[in-house]
Amino acid sequence: MSGHDTQPREAALLAEYQAAAEAGILLLRACQSCGEAHVYPRPHCPLCGHRGTEWRKASGAATLYSYTTSPMLPPATHYAMVTLAEGPTMPTIIVQSDFEALEIGQPMTLRFTKGPKGAPVPAFVAPASLRAEAYAARVIAEADAVPPGEAPALAQVAVIGGGTMGQGLVSACLIAGLSAVLVDRAHEALERARSVIAANVAQAIDKGKARPAAAACLDALVCTTDMAAISRADVVIEAVYEAMALKQEVMAQADRFARPGAVLGTNTSTLDIDAIARATTRPGAVVGLHFFSPAHIMKLLEIVRGTATEPATLAAARALGDRLRKTSVTVGNAFGFVGNRLMIAREHHAAQLLLAGALPQEVDAFQTGFGLPMGTFTLQDMAGGIELAYRQRQDTGRTDWLIDRLFKAGRTGLKSGKGYYRYEPGSRKPIPDPEVEALIREWSAAEGVTRRPIPPAEMHDRLILPMLNEGFKLLEEGIADRPEDVDTVWLRGYGWPAWRGGPMYYAQQKGLGAILDRLTALQAQEGEAFRPAALLQSMVAEGRALFAPSPDAA
Amino acid sequence: MADTAYIAGIYEHPTRNAEGISTAELHADVAFGALADAGLGLSDVDGFFCGAEAPGVGGFSMAEYLGLTRLRHMDTTETGGSSYMVHLSHAAQAIAAGKCDVALITLADRPVAGKAGPRLAGVDFSLIPERHFQPPVPPFPMLGYAMVARRHMHDFGTTSEQLAWVKVAASHHAQHNPQARLRKVLTVEDVLASPMVADPLHRDDCCVLTDGGGALVVVRAEIARQLKRPPVRIRGTGEAMQHAAGGRADLTRSAGVRSGAIAFAEAGLTPEDIRYASIYDSFTITVIVELEDLGFCAKGQGGRFVADGNLIAGVGRLPVNTDGGGLCNNHPGNKGGMTKILEAVRQCRGEAHPAVQVPRHDLVLAHGTGGSLAGQHMAATVILEAM
Ligand SMILES: NC(=O)c1ccc[n+]([C@@H]2O[C@H](COP(=O)([O-])OP(=O)(O)OC[C@H]3O[C@@H](n4cnc5c(N)ncnc54)[C@H](O)[C@@H]3O)[C@@H](O)[C@H]2O)c1
Repeated sequence: MSGHDTQPREAALLAEYQAAAEAGILLLRACQSCGEAHVYPRPHCPLCGHRGTEWRKASGAATLYSYTTSPMLPPATHYAMVTLAEGPTMPTIIVQSDFEALEIGQPMTLRFTKGPKGAPVPAFVAPASLRAEAYAARVIAEADAVPPGEAPALAQVAVIGGGTMGQGLVSACLIAGLSAVLVDRAHEALERARSVIAANVAQAIDKGKARPAAAACLDALVCTTDMAAISRADVVIEAVYEAMALKQEVMAQADRFARPGAVLGTNTSTLDIDAIARATTRPGAVVGLHFFSPAHIMKLLEIVRGTATEPATLAAARALGDRLRKTSVTVGNAFGFVGNRLMIAREHHAAQLLLAGALPQEVDAFQTGFGLPMGTFTLQDMAGGIELAYRQRQDTGRTDWLIDRLFKAGRTGLKSGKGYYRYEPGSRKPIPDPEVEALIREWSAAEGVTRRPIPPAEMHDRLILPMLNEGFKLLEEGIADRPEDVDTVWLRGYGWPAWRGGPMYYAQQKGLGAILDRLTALQAQEGEAFRPAALLQSMVAEGRALFAPSPDAA
Repeated sequence: MADTAYIAGIYEHPTRNAEGISTAELHADVAFGALADAGLGLSDVDGFFCGAEAPGVGGFSMAEYLGLTRLRHMDTTETGGSSYMVHLSHAAQAIAAGKCDVALITLADRPVAGKAGPRLAGVDFSLIPERHFQPPVPPFPMLGYAMVARRHMHDFGTTSEQLAWVKVAASHHAQHNPQARLRKVLTVEDVLASPMVADPLHRDDCCVLTDGGGALVVVRAEIARQLKRPPVRIRGTGEAMQHAAGGRADLTRSAGVRSGAIAFAEAGLTPEDIRYASIYDSFTITVIVELEDLGFCAKGQGGRFVADGNLIAGVGRLPVNTDGGGLCNNHPGNKGGMTKILEAVRQCRGEAHPAVQVPRHDLVLAHGTGGSLAGQHMAATVILEAM
């Protein structure tokens, strides 16, 4: 069907309405005679018939009239009607808000969001989300505001290993106006690294994100195979392959060439900092510097404290983080540190959901619906997780039914065009693949599992609660000092939605007792992977709160 | 309404999936079916009524396709699901005004075979004036009805269990209807266990998606008296429209408040007089709101009214949708008004399935809501009487 509907007058109204929306203002149309406002602009008043109306700015305050959510809606979006403070009730969407926490009559706040065509569309958020966001902003600001102490002067950083991480790290240093040295054993690696680094720095300069000295620092960048070049660096960071023997060997060399007082950092994501420190003559100067990839972009730095790490070393690491404009969180030395511990818990249970009856796209849709930037399986495909998981296991003799078969079928992820999903050439869009579905069904059959649909509430409990539980374990083990640290790590490094405040904040809002009950039930049903952390149990038993004072206190 | 217009013929298409049958052919099937039921032929028809789903230009193309050569009255009013209550009312008015003697009303569509989903054929939502100001939400009716349900729950304490009772009643009736799309008898627990499609609505709170259609033949009293089928008189009709009114909608009150009052006034009756009611059931919540609005119970009491089998024939006080309704039997073309009238006529004639036929069937009602209760909608009520 077609119309003959050009509506020049309404087109002009629309343009003005949209321009205001770009500026974050919701316009209503109000009658010049009766004064009543109506929802969508018309040149006449639909209430009294007067042919003269004018714009009226909505305050943005509203109350919730009714709401629904549905799998047919975009992720983390709910459909609603809100009654504006100005009178009219309008259909709208709710974003960045927990559906379970909505209540008819509660206040809602206007916040424009990007519509499907990129233009801003009015949406509303719930007060609980605003409180969570305020909390998230506060913990990050706190993490960033730790006073520097007597940090040693910081002028030069040396990076050993010019791969993905090394390139990002050197880029980050140059952008921050630090002089840098890059050491790799391979000339080709150095050449490749230099060109990537140059491009990264140029891009940062273009975007106005680099310090004025960045260009000069790039010119002065030393790329060499000679370890002696690190001798003037204030901080040395090794970023070679993730293998203990290699790391120990490289650290021992660094120990030999680094100046006295220099910090010896390791970018390992999985290895024991103490074992690496033991390879040196100065374990007190060794510290984990867990950056995230790409290191010149990602905002988080986990500073990993080894048993021997001295306070001065931690202060220097912290100073480096500040200089690179990272949010630094100091954590203890344990497998996965803080961030990956929660991630590993989630990934383990995501795989279990496949076994129980879910499909990758369903698990991922739940996660993006929860507000996470990407689902487990999309992420695994992007990061080459299948190959990594397969290779890491090879010297242990352990097997993994699904991953072994995916790997052997050449399904290593986005790079090979297929993994948990398949990909059209040149596209990064994951497409559900019947082949994988068949494989997953076969897996369930092999394990004697009768597949069943997994409702979203169960996905929540089996994916999110184990992450929260892991957070309690980290606190109990002293790997994380405070719940705020766990939250900061996940907010900054893993895309936990700010409107949910962070995993531990979320746990507090859900109620520790309720979480304990669910975990206990899941433990009985599904096994020990759900065993509630001792700290969680004791906090519930003693009626203790996770945060003191309340996380919503201003 | 004076003793002028009678429903003389009815027909419900037996198909629920019209794979291989065109929409025009479906219109012909139901037209000939209803005319045969009345004992009339094409050449008797001088008034034609159809909705926007009829293929072609307005009523023109179907008139030629069917072979209607004596038309002197045509009406292609489209009000969504209530179109056929409206057509029935308009046909009665046209007959009373002497504009036609034999009116044929047809509905036929194939959204299942045509993979169109819960959308109306022949209307273009992309041209509505408010399109640029609507939230980016897919145009599924159930989203609006879910908001009606939640608001009703909030204001009146209505529960998901009460909603489920509407479906349970429909399923009890549908077991006796061999053509029903869903014939399994359900419990409240079954309904609540079906997946949530638009919170708080479960899949089983939604009507079926079916192809097919139906037709009605409405004739002048003198003609009705010469025909063999039990005469069903159109005793009262009412129509009313409601919309968002610039943002002043009340989701829990429909235009049925007015359409019902108009129809009851015209018929000189009250809800207590009605022995059977066909109540539009796009969703379970629709029935609850409409029963209240028509006056079968007080506003807010609909949930309690439908609970515990009160809508089940032989069990409850007000048997509703004894063919299984849109919830279980048929919702052809996403417009349930036609099938509502058809079952009301069967009841009125005493020709419903014996297991669900109400013992006293002198006065029955059919009520439709077209559009969305949560926004623009047209309610239409007809009251029929066995003569
Ligand atoms: N890639 C990530 O997302 C990521 C994130 C956080 C931490 N990490 C950690 O960073 C480290 C490096 O990871 P990557 O992804 O950059 O690896 P990579 O394979 O891209 O790079 C490793 C580099 O180290 C060089 N190298 C190997 N042995 C060397 C030696 N003896 N002397 C000098 N150079 C040597 C190699 O030539 C290569 O260029 C690992 O410990 C990894 O766990 C990686």
